[in-house]
Amino acid sequence: MNTLSSLRLLHLDAFRSPWWLPPVLGLVCAWIWVAIFAPFWTAFGSGGLFGLCIIALLALGRKKFAKSAVLVEEQDVQQADIVQQEIEALMPLATSAEILPQVDEMVQSMASEHQKRRLEELLLHWVNVSQQYSDAALSMRKQIHTVTQQTEHAATTIANSFQAIINKATVQARQAMELLEGTQGAMTEGVPQSLKDFIRVSDERLTKMADEVVRVADLSVRMVRELDAVQKRAQAIDGFLLDVDKLADQTSLLALNADIEAARVGEQGRGFSVVAKEVRRLSKRSHEFSDSIRSHLEGVRTGLNKTYGDMRTLSAADVDHATGIKNEVLQLTQSLEGKNREVADTVSSINAISKEIAQDVQNVVISLQFHDITSQKLNGMLEPMDELRNMLFQLMQETLAFDKSLLKRLPGDDRWLARLHAVSQPVTDAAEAHQDSHPQAPRKKGTGPAVELF
Amino acid sequence: MATIMTVDDTATMRQMVSFTLHSVGHEVVQASDGQEALALAQGRKLDMVIADVNMPNMDGITLVKSLRALPEYKFIPILLLTTESQDAKRQEGKSAGATGWIVKPFNPEQLLNVVRKVLG
Repeated sequence: MNTLSSLRLLHLDAFRSPWWLPPVLGLVCAWIWVAIFAPFWTAFGSGGLFGLCIIALLALGRKKFAKSAVLVEEQDVQQADIVQQEIEALMPLATSAEILPQVDEMVQSMASEHQKRRLEELLLHWVNVSQQYSDAALSMRKQIHTVTQQTEHAATTIANSFQAIINKATVQARQAMELLEGTQGAMTEGVPQSLKDFIRVSDERLTKMADEVVRVADLSVRMVRELDAVQKRAQAIDGFLLDVDKLADQTSLLALNADIEAARVGEQGRGFSVVAKEVRRLSKRSHEFSDSIRSHLEGVRTGLNKTYGDMRTLSAADVDHATGIKNEVLQLTQSLEGKNREVADTVSSINAISKEIAQDVQNVVISLQFHDITSQKLNGMLEPMDELRNMLFQLMQETLAFDKSLLKRLPGDDRWLARLHAVSQPVTDAAEAHQDSHPQAPRKKGTGPAVELF
Repeated sequence: MATIMTVDDTATMRQMVSFTLHSVGHEVVQASDGQEALALAQGRKLDMVIADVNMPNMDGITLVKSLRALPEYKFIPILLLTTESQDAKRQEGKSAGATGWIVKPFNPEQLLNVVRKVLG
């Protein structure tokens, strides 16, 4: 009984942790094993050694219990020392029957004191954890509120931008359509009002002009043919002149014969000789006249030849030129028509793009609504969180009311109570709005501007 | 074109609905909760109301009931546009007198189709 009391005094945990039991049992078994098989003196020797070991283990155990008591209960160090001293003082009297109940009472009161302290610490820890949770929940509430407001602001900005985009795209498409209608329009008082009409009218006028040029060229060709006929006639005249020359020559010869005959006749033929001379003179003049005609005719022929050549060149050039102009006009109108088609294609492409933009914006409209959905979900999280906070607060209040003396152990009573009250206040949206009055400019809450150069 | 009121506590939602309805030429009046909507509805002629269900001050279902109590809003179409999709809530909306129920997020084209259909 005495030894048991001493051990209980040392530490209540001593019996709950029989660390020494396995080595002691091991040693006993070893000794029994040796006692069966070994000679008597060896068994006696090992028994002695075993006894020494037990003594050494008990001494070590005592030392260890004292050490663990110090480690587990730092706050009890002084008291443990005092108790140790008291126990040591009581040790000589431990055998006395009057002293034993007092020692037991003391031990029991110490155990209950220790348990009470541990319970208090547990409660303090519980209050601390609740307070930390409350703080965290409050901070989370604020964060959720800020995030909701910021995303709403961002979503509104995005929505505005997309609205502006779709409006501009609509205007753009309408203007493109107007442009296309402009290129496809009709004429007012013979003046083309559109590119298409301009092309058509230009084509008509230029074709008309080219036809005129071709007609002039045809006329030239006909004139050349006429000139050919004139030239043939000139050649015929040339032939006639040769005949005239032959006639003149024959007349001249006839006149000469007449003159010879007249001379032979004598005086009577004088008159005839004058006539013959006159006929010869006429024949000579006829020659001169035909020469003169030939020379003029030659001049006419040269002129005609030159004109003929010029006309041929001109008519050929006119036809070539007219054909060239016509081809160029054709190419030009084709090119203009191509451009016109390109404009029409581009406009229809712009229209198609506008429709695609409208479709994309529809998708944006759908996506932006997720902000509302997520906000509602986030706000839905707030309600159970607030409920939990209120429950925690009530529990804390009850805990504190359970043991008023606990308050005395709390750091800075007034501050602690103020914090408890703050936790108990329901956080309204209005209060949050007041706390976070600039949700649109969250970065102002930070330490500096968005961009800073040093 | 019709005058339509959109009621939602989220500005983005009001904007999306307005934007969609404006695109086809409807005139849109905005209100941020049931109370404001009820105040705005009195003293003006509305052809239709599109309201959210969960709102502060006055929720969408109460708004429907309050509007139906007014003689000029007894028969106009009232659509509820909400994230709620449970049948119980839908039934509640229906019995309050709502014309239709659209679950968020709405598709602009789908919304316009519904509006066209209920406006007749």
